[in-house]
Amino acid sequence: MQSSASLTISDLWIERGERDLCKGLSLSIQSGEVVRILGENGAGKSSLLKVIAGILSPLEGQILYSGEDVTLDRSLLQHDAIYLGHSAGVKSLLTVAENLHWYCPDAPSSVLYSVLTQLDLVDQVDVLVKALSVGQARRVALARLWLSKKTLWLLDEPFVSLDARGVALLEGRIQQHVLSGGLVVLSTHQELLSIASRDVALL
Amino acid sequence: MTYSSFLVSEFLVLWRRKQDVFNALLFFVIVVVLFPIGINSSPEFLAPAAAGIVWCATVLAILMAVEGMFKEDYHDGSLEQLVVSGLSLPLLILLKIVAQWLTVVLPLLLMMPLLSEMLYLPSSGFWVLTMTLLVGTPSLFFIGVIGSALTVSIKQGAMLVMLLILPFYLPVIIFSTLAVKASQAGLPYSGLLAMLLAISLLSLVISPFMTAIVVKASVN
Repeated sequence: MQSSASLTISDLWIERGERDLCKGLSLSIQSGEVVRILGENGAGKSSLLKVIAGILSPLEGQILYSGEDVTLDRSLLQHDAIYLGHSAGVKSLLTVAENLHWYCPDAPSSVLYSVLTQLDLVDQVDVLVKALSVGQARRVALARLWLSKKTLWLLDEPFVSLDARGVALLEGRIQQHVLSGGLVVLSTHQELLSIASRDVALL
Repeated sequence: MTYSSFLVSEFLVLWRRKQDVFNALLFFVIVVVLFPIGINSSPEFLAPAAAGIVWCATVLAILMAVEGMFKEDYHDGSLEQLVVSGLSLPLLILLKIVAQWLTVVLPLLLMMPLLSEMLYLPSSGFWVLTMTLLVGTPSLFFIGVIGSALTVSIKQGAMLVMLLILPFYLPVIIFSTLAVKASQAGLPYSGLLAMLLAISLLSLVISPFMTAIVVKASVN
């Protein structure tokens, strides 16, 4: 994990269909910060995260990651980022363990086991993801946050489908991550109980 | 994610979807078996028609296999994860095609001796037919995968995939059957095999990049 990563967005302009989103948005995030993107439905929260992750291209604007311009080629940022979108992003025909080996092949089995224990998934380790509940599949996706050493986390509504214990676990993990120098950008309508975050409202 | 972990996951998924692969192979066998029963079972008819029968069945089986190549990944969101993985998307797509080709075409080649005997194909024709399958089928996957990616977000996309890519399959079918017929007539066929190889190599260069562009457009 990078100890002094930063993400700078300048004069962003996203076009989705006929709509202009985030027009003129500028944002700077430093290591150890959590930024919560707020806005009504359709304000462009998911689009903003997708643009940062490199799924969408902005119409205008510049994106710098740790000082490097990644506007046209996001691969530098992607190597150091986790993006969790609306879908869990786990393969439904793989088991829980196989999914995590697919995403984090370098994670030792002992660490994997301990993470799955924390997330109450240890009994489902050999169960196909398609047989899990939506909340459990979400936990499998979130397990990557425990296993990966990437600095930038881009989380789109990460608390959706989680129970109270899952929410507390995730908040704890986000806090732990930013304390160790990570950056988190998340969109959520939920109040963050235990994390100090900077709110950015999209109009 | 690494390229090797991706390839392992692809084989695991194909193993879990073995019924789909088996259905494609079963379809191939049924088509080949029904031809002699339905049209003419005499060696005089079957020997010259064997290459055409096998290639038509192969094309249909491959169409069945490629149609849903990205569907599962699109719906569970793992396709999105490939786009943001930081790995080369064209290379990941190439690995996906390799896994699919090995799973579908290798069993098909293993069945060829038996089916060739059934179709009275002489041994010279059998080896050329096998070579055309080895050299020509990769292009069917490379072309088919573009159609599969284009229709990934459409619910009933199977027919659209067929309409989109079938015209591009015709040169492969024509060159392959001509090569087998040339060998059966004692004529040189290496030029036709070279054409098949050229089509496969050209589609190898173009397809992963085109498919990557289409996949990126589909997930956003």
